[in-house]
Amino acid sequence: MLFNTPQFFLFLLVTLGLFYVSPKPLRRWILLIASYFFYMSWNWRFAPLLLSLTVIDYVAAIWMERVESPRRRKLFLVLSLAANLGFLGFFKYYNFLAGMLAEAMRRDPHAFALSIVLPLGISFHTFQSMSYVVDVYRGEQKAIRNPIDYALFIAFFPQLVAGPIVRAREFFANYYNWVPPVSEEKLRGVLWILLGLAKKMALADQFAQIADSYFMNLAAHPGAPAAWSGVGAFAMQIFFDFSGYTDMAIGMALLLGFHFPTNFRRPYLAFSITDFWHRWHISLSRWLRDYLYIPLGGNRHGSLMTYRNLMLTMLLGGLWHGASWNFVIWGGYHGALLGLERVFGRKNFQEPPHWLVYPFRAAMTFVLVCVGWVFFRAATLHDSVYVLQQMFSWHGKGILIPAWLGCMLAVSLVIALLEEKTEWIERLAQGPAWAYVAAVAMLLLSVELIGVTEKAVPFVYFQF
Amino acid sequence: MRAAPVLIASVVAFAAMEGVIFHTGLYPWILNPDASTGYVETILRNEQNRPKNGPQVLGIGDSRMLLLPRLSNEHTAETGYTFGTIATAGSSPRSWYYMLRDTDPTARQYRAIVLAVESYDDAEKWVDEADNDADLSYVIPLLGLSDLWEYTWSFHDPKQQWKAARGILFKGLVYKRDFEDLMLDPVSRVRYVKLNRRDAFSWNYGYNGPPDTLVGFHVDWEAKTLTAPPNAAPGLVQNVKGRLFDPLPPESGTRNRYMKYWLGKIYERYRGSPARLIFLRLPRGGFVRPDQPPYHPRSSVRDLAAQPNVTLIEEHFFDPLEKPELFRDELHLNGPGMDRFSLMITQEVSRILGPPR
Repeated sequence: MLFNTPQFFLFLLVTLGLFYVSPKPLRRWILLIASYFFYMSWNWRFAPLLLSLTVIDYVAAIWMERVESPRRRKLFLVLSLAANLGFLGFFKYYNFLAGMLAEAMRRDPHAFALSIVLPLGISFHTFQSMSYVVDVYRGEQKAIRNPIDYALFIAFFPQLVAGPIVRAREFFANYYNWVPPVSEEKLRGVLWILLGLAKKMALADQFAQIADSYFMNLAAHPGAPAAWSGVGAFAMQIFFDFSGYTDMAIGMALLLGFHFPTNFRRPYLAFSITDFWHRWHISLSRWLRDYLYIPLGGNRHGSLMTYRNLMLTMLLGGLWHGASWNFVIWGGYHGALLGLERVFGRKNFQEPPHWLVYPFRAAMTFVLVCVGWVFFRAATLHDSVYVLQQMFSWHGKGILIPAWLGCMLAVSLVIALLEEKTEWIERLAQGPAWAYVAAVAMLLLSVELIGVTEKAVPFVYFQF
Repeated sequence: MRAAPVLIASVVAFAAMEGVIFHTGLYPWILNPDASTGYVETILRNEQNRPKNGPQVLGIGDSRMLLLPRLSNEHTAETGYTFGTIATAGSSPRSWYYMLRDTDPTARQYRAIVLAVESYDDAEKWVDEADNDADLSYVIPLLGLSDLWEYTWSFHDPKQQWKAARGILFKGLVYKRDFEDLMLDPVSRVRYVKLNRRDAFSWNYGYNGPPDTLVGFHVDWEAKTLTAPPNAAPGLVQNVKGRLFDPLPPESGTRNRYMKYWLGKIYERYRGSPARLIFLRLPRGGFVRPDQPPYHPRSSVRDLAAQPNVTLIEEHFFDPLEKPELFRDELHLNGPGMDRFSLMITQEVSRILGPPR
């Protein structure tokens, strides 16, 4: 059940209805049942997996809090992390590692491969679980005693599949002090859902067609203009797709009285790669910083170690996205760029440049990000190299992005620039009613008229 | 700001915008005349705008209803009738109902409606015609909210029903492809639409039909083989073979129910009107396979023939046209075939109607 299907909207309406008509003590049950129904509608066979991970982490956290001995606390932490990483590793990385092993043994690359279906959202809910047990271990979070509450934290349907990765303390602060959303929040919730839907169906899915046609048949589109427009289309697809999903998740959560953290802040307006990672998939960046980069030592042990930690974090961040060398290279590429920016003075890349320089820096950053997307999207390393060669070949003709979609992009850029300056979308629900009404009507019209509705295109990040 | 009134106002605003753009003639004005929706719009508009002096006869059918009004109207002085046509390639009896409703809203403009059907026996098809998803794009500008129930449930497949229902409610969903095409080059589209509005009537009216024939093709019915001339296009050879030798679908009554429903609805529209419904069976092809579908005594048209204002042209009336030299492909008459077909229709319809009163 994808977010961009009528079935999902029916499910959402029923869930919202049941949630608000039920007495308060029943509401957590409603949300939990709805969340498991949502998860099982994709593949019911994985429900025991989600449930067992939930039970393991729930129990591990309580035991960690009960025992006095630091060694036993650590043991429970390790057991919990091993369970999470074990499941994640098996489902996501087994075939990758088996392929490498087979190659090392000069056997058929599929010799040890298994037919594994990746459980929906496993990368996200395991990270969320792990952050919880680590926080409990560190004493930053109290173990949750009510199993229903904890199960809901892990399975909460708006963010179960592709985040944002919510910290336990954020979620439970909201959960235990739950107040029904006020009118402005309800309006904001609906607006975010529609904005996300429009981003996904009217923009991401349109760009997906171009990106797919390019990357699935590279030989048919030789030359730099085709390569840049194919890669650019993917850059737009992945942004509008993922941020569209996040907007919808944030909107749905708002309607249920939950406040999710921002996950995207106009990343293509970033003036440096450092700035880009402060704007792109923020909840993952934050997770990697708090649970990987800082525990590795962060920037506390000199420059060399800082670069090492940065690189390790980004490599693992790349690998988190998928089991292939392309993702590792993508992570490494960003790690290298972040390292370089540190070499040339961190301050220059953290503080916005003069407004006259800003467009050039933003354009430069966008180009660098696009180069990275090549590894992210291309099917193989060989394809990535080919696309990069084409991008810098300075020959060929034929831009793949049609003019009207280019115009849509220009409109989106203007909206993003205004949002960057004034956050007007955020404040739309507080402004005059006519502005809100016009915005909603336009969003609905854009979904109707240019949204890809013939088939529901899955969200890119669902595969992670 | 309270949420409920603002949300309701938002939905109303969207519905109003959608309504103004798509449920009025605003967007249909700019439809691509070469796409199915725009083509039907053009055909219907041409017929509506055609000056109608004296008693009128209107032809309707699919691409095989190759009535040339230009030829028919050369005989107006002797027959007393002026002919027009809204036959559209790919259209179906369901679409004909809505096309007729749009062209002839009072059901009193014509003395006769000539409906061309493939068979008087409701010959079965391999696919359920009720689930033809192209139908929606033919008639979307003609459908209103009052058609929501009937049109939606006329499809059998739930997917098609859903598509039809949401298409009628949100017409932009059906116009989507046309809109994307418009966005690619709006200036050229406007220019082409204007040109089409000015000249499409004369283009259609002056159409002569292609000279190609099936001469040189030979069929051995015993051996089930087709010999084609060396210069015949492989696609054409394949299509002719398919038409002649592919097994016929088994009788299930599906098509009979479909035809009875939609031809029945057309009949209901014209019950008590001065218009006569005249059915003709189309010429079957340059070669006619010996294993024809079984005779159906209670077929849709035979049942309707019992009604006072319905006439069936003799089933084999157009058999003389079933010759390779008069067909350009497995289904369609060529130029000379069209000329003879048109004249035969003109004479027979005029005979049935008698001199105008």
